[in-house]
This record gives sequence, structure tokens and C-alpha cells, in this order.
Amino acid sequence: MSHGISRRTLLGAALSGGIITPLLAGCGALVPASSGSNALTVHTQISGAVAGAQVFSDVVAAYQRSTARKVALLKNGSDLPIVFETSTLAGKEADVAIVNMMGRTLSWTRLGATVPVNDYLDDWGLRDLIIPEALAEWTDDEGRLRAFPFTRTNWPVSFNTGLLEEAGVGAIPTTSDELIAAADALRSKGIGPVTVGGSDWSGQKMFLQIIQGFITQDEARTVFSTGKISESPGAIAGVEHFVELRDAGVFVDNVQGYTSDSELTQFNTRKAAIVPAMSSALALVPNERAAEVTVGGWPKPSSGGVLEHPSVIKSFNGHGIWISENGLGKLDLIKPFVQNLYTPEVTDEFILGSGRDMSRITDTVSQDFPLVAQGSRLTDDDVTPVMLPDLLIPDAVFEPMIQATALAYGSAPADRIIDAFEKSYQAV
Amino acid sequence: MAQRAAVARRLPLRDRIGSITSGTLAWIYAALLVIPFYYFIVSSFKTNEEIFESPLSLPTTFDFSNFTTAIQQADLGLAVANSALTTVAALVLTLLLALPASFALARARGRAGKIVESVFALGFLIPSFAALFPTFLLAAALGLFHTRTFVIFLLPATALPLSIVILTSFMRTIPRELEEAASMDGASSLQVLRQVYLPICVPGIATVLLLNFLSFWNAYLYPLILIGPDTAQRTIQVALPTLKVDAGTDYGVLMAGTLFTLLPVYLVYTVLQRQMQRALLSGAVKG
Repeated sequence: MSHGISRRTLLGAALSGGIITPLLAGCGALVPASSGSNALTVHTQISGAVAGAQVFSDVVAAYQRSTARKVALLKNGSDLPIVFETSTLAGKEADVAIVNMMGRTLSWTRLGATVPVNDYLDDWGLRDLIIPEALAEWTDDEGRLRAFPFTRTNWPVSFNTGLLEEAGVGAIPTTSDELIAAADALRSKGIGPVTVGGSDWSGQKMFLQIIQGFITQDEARTVFSTGKISESPGAIAGVEHFVELRDAGVFVDNVQGYTSDSELTQFNTRKAAIVPAMSSALALVPNERAAEVTVGGWPKPSSGGVLEHPSVIKSFNGHGIWISENGLGKLDLIKPFVQNLYTPEVTDEFILGSGRDMSRITDTVSQDFPLVAQGSRLTDDDVTPVMLPDLLIPDAVFEPMIQATALAYGSAPADRIIDAFEKSYQAV
Repeated sequence: MAQRAAVARRLPLRDRIGSITSGTLAWIYAALLVIPFYYFIVSSFKTNEEIFESPLSLPTTFDFSNFTTAIQQADLGLAVANSALTTVAALVLTLLLALPASFALARARGRAGKIVESVFALGFLIPSFAALFPTFLLAAALGLFHTRTFVIFLLPATALPLSIVILTSFMRTIPRELEEAASMDGASSLQVLRQVYLPICVPGIATVLLLNFLSFWNAYLYPLILIGPDTAQRTIQVALPTLKVDAGTDYGVLMAGTLFTLLPVYLVYTVLQRQMQRALLSGAVKG
């Protein structure tokens, strides 16, 4: 009887496995970075392919070299919150977490998983370095500063002026009527007008931004925290305005099937002329495309509405620097590490090296990322800032709401969209 | 070839239609397997624009920069080493436990053996997701949370029910006369296992190795929670998602990274597939 693998081979493989395993385990690179009580453990979402990941790694490496202090970087992407929470249950969470404020992380301070950093803001001399609005956004209803605001984001609208000119549109549209006219002109030349990820969060943000054209920021807080569009005449008008734009062909065909990735690709490949995208995504637009792009705001409603200028979502809800319960025992290590992250040199490295918008006060403007720089230069004279409603929308509502907004990008009438939107809040 | 064609011509019409249909279905199935793999390979050499514009076309250049970017951004070198370490150690442990257990169950004639075998089969009833929290508590209580060691012990525990059922069934097909002859020659139980059962069970062992390799290598949730985010320890399945970002994922880099997880699977399957087919065929013939 002959087999492809002999008994000797099989036993050899098993033995080799048994021998290689401890050898590999002893290999230096595979020894846990967080081992040793002198190490500061930092659990960061600024890792992998995220804009600024390499800059952050370099900054930490330089800090270790200059101070001879050990920093262990633990890295996760969007799964960081759940990993941090289970680590907390086991009492093995990192001393510092660098993560955005959304969904699960909104409850961390209240539940004691992380500590408020109000006291350290002054003690460590950081208050005057951070944009005051950022501090306000990161402070909860009970006055607790959840974390040190580190990165922030703009959500401007990019217009490919080359394509607009090809379609005979001389200036970027600033009102809804101009937008509809531009969309008609673009379509007549076979160019897609506005592309957006209708099936995901990017479409949801666009939808909520359009509604904010008809409600004040106070009304917006009520509507987005309760979901009661039908009780707000302004919000109803906002949905009807969205439907009017959609039915006028403002969005590219089949937009309800697109994602945030496909919208950017459509824009980069000149398939669509207009895209709303956050600043970290704008950093990824290739230079030859960026050369023909002007950044502005979403055209304001031509009639009605509450906006003075085209709108831009502005948010300081990028990454924050959170201190855990374990971190309380290592404040002497955390203080210089955090102070280093707010030095002008490190801020410049992030802005110039990765196109990140930072919550630290600075005059530095991105040079190699022209669209990010254009977005940073937009003032309140050019655009009217509207809110990023992530802090108001309950965690359980996010996914059902995206289903509702995906429906909106299809062919549903306004009343059906409002009904689906309100039903998404029933998950709470 | 000409003979085969002549034989095919002699087949009744119904058989020929059946033959053509099954052949066509086999080719379609093969294409279903090959096209995604082809897509992965060509995409790993392209930019996002090329991937979205012409998904199935060949890349314009065979530039390996996506691979180097993937390795660098997600620390894939360490991640592959960790996955290999965890998988190999868990496979060795699984075999060391499953082989003697299956041997004992296959030889058992009494009621106790059947009860123990049923107890092992009960393992199938526990959904792995449901066991996550108790397992997490156990890891924390043992002081093994955020270590590879715990996962190396855990994975065999999850694999033992299936491994023992497969190996026990396989060993039951071995004639008892062989064992009795070895015993009459003075062989101990361990020698019988090593020198009689093991050589005959190679296809069954290969099957167990292959199935468990796929399961261990592709494990995500347990390594994510139990091993944690330390780049020195995390496995490739945990490292890979860091290449996906909220907006502007570079799919060329993501595909290149994904190939690192796929290639070992194809490699191991290629090495072990013949043995697995032999095991399946022998089961079919004996069944």
C-alpha cells in the first residue's frame, strides 16, 4: 500500500512543528511589545492604511529614541473599541487609546472604562494648544472631557472644474437650482453629476447634510437625537428637497448601490464631477486629478432653507487620546507622551506628511495635499458649517438608519423615507 | 484519444447528454473557484482605478509595490509568523490528543466507549460564538489573556469533536485481525497505534489536518479578542482588516495582503488533497 505521505514524513512534520514552535516563540520580534511594566501601552486606530499611520509610527519611534522610554503600540482598525472593551473587562486594557468618538466609545467615560481628562488639560499645559470648539465637542453633557481631541475632519464637496467646463458650466454651483442645471449639463455630456456612497455611511452623511439646509442647529440636535422628522416642518422640507434633487438627476445613476470607496474611484476616474468627501479621503485624490478640482460646500437651497452659504460638515470628532483606568497608574509616562503629540513639530508632521486636519491650533497648511489645504482654507464667509450628527445618533440606530438613507437614494417618496428614518430609531 | 472518442460515440444518447452536462457543470464549478483567485492575483498588481474600471483585465505592469505596502502597513511578516506558529502548534496538539482518543474509541467494545464518543459528538452542539464570553473569562482567570498560548490550547479543544469522529470512523475500518496479529507478536498498545493504525490512517489524518488547518488559519474572532492587538502576537486574520479604511481603501494593497492569507491555504490543500480524496473515496467504497 503506497501513500503520498509516509508515516515518517508525517511524524517528522509533527516533530518539526513541536521544535519550531518554541523556537519561534523565543524569537525577539514575536515577544509581546507590551511586556514589561515600564512600557507605556498605546492602543491606536491610527494604524495600517489609515492616513497618518506611518507618521504616527515615526513620531512614536522618534519619541522613544529621544527619551529612552518604551512605548508599545497596539494596533486595530474599526474593531478597536470591542478589543479595548474586552481588554478592560480583563483589566488588561492599554494605558492610552487613540480612537474616534462614535458608537461604543461614547459611553466609555460614563462607564468608567476611561477617565475624564479635564484636570490634565490644564496641568499638562494643553488647554491653550487645542481649538476651543474641539474641546467643547469632546465634552459630554456632564462637563467631562472624554479625551484630548487630536485629529479632526472637514467634509467639503469637491468639484471637478475640468469636467464642469467640458459641460459648459463656468462656475461651481452654490445653489440647488445651479446644481440641478449643472447636473443636466453634465448628463448631456455623458458625465455623472454627484457621486456618493448611497448604500453606506457616506450617503447617510450627505442625506443628513441636505436636511440641515432647512433646520437650525438646535432643531438638528432634536431631530437627530430623537429621529422625529415628522415633528419638524424644517426637516420634512429637507427630505422633500433631497427628493427634488434626486428626482432632478443630481446624483449619478444607481447611486443607491455605491459605497464610499466607489464614489471616490468614480471621482478619481472622471466618471463623476462632484463628490462630498472627508478631508482624510481628499488626501488620497491623485495630484493630476487634484489639479482640476475646486473644493467648496454643498449648494444651499435656492428657496427656503436656513443657510447663508453652501454647507460643509465640520467636525472635531477625529481621533482622541483617551486615558484608561490602567493609565491612571502611569500618568508620569502618559504626560510627556501626550505633550509630545501636541508639539508644533509633531502637528506639522501630521499635516505636511499625511494631510491630516489636526485639533491643535496651528497655521500650518498641507502642501502636498492640495485639496485638504483648500478645505482648511474655507472660512465662514465661504461656507456655512453644519454638524456631523454622529454624537447624537444612538449607536443602535446607525445601521438601520443607513438602510433608510439607502432607500432614499432609490426612488422612494418623501413620506416613505421619513417613515423608514423614524422606524430606524425604534431599535433604541 | 481516438479510442476514447470511439467509445464516447458508442455511448447511448442519454449517457452522452449526462456526460456533457456533468462535464459542463464541472467546468463551471472550476471557473467559479478559479475566477476569484485570478481576480485576487491581478488586482494585487493594480491601482483602485484599474480595479474598478476593468476588474478582470491583466495588469499593465507587474509592480510588487502593493505587496511591500501591505507588508509594511499591516506588519504582515510578523502576522504570518504568528499565524504559522499558532496553527502548527494547535495542529500538533490536536493530533496528539485526537489520535490516541480515536484509537481507544475505535477499539472499545463496551457501552462506556459509546458514551464517551457521544460526549465528544456533543461538542458539535456548542456554537462557537456562544462560547466566546466564557472562554474570555477562562483566559482572564488563567492569566493567559492576550497570549498566543491560550489560543494554541483553545483551538484543539474546538477541533477535537470533528477530528475524533473522523479518525474513529476511519480506524473502525481497520480489521481487528491486524491488531490481534501485532499483539500476538508482543506489540504494546502504543506500538499497535504507531505501527499498525497510523500508517493505514494517513488519509484520515491528512483529512483532519486539512480541515483543521483551514479552521485554525482562518480563525478571526477568537484571536482578535483573546490574542489582542499586539503586532508581535496578532495573527494575519486580525492584521489584515487594518488595510481597510473608512474612505479610500487601496484595494490593490488589500488584495495583495489577502493573497498572503490565501497562499498557505492553497499550498496546504495541494499537499494534502490527494490524501483527503483517498479518505473520502475509501469511505464511499466501504460505506
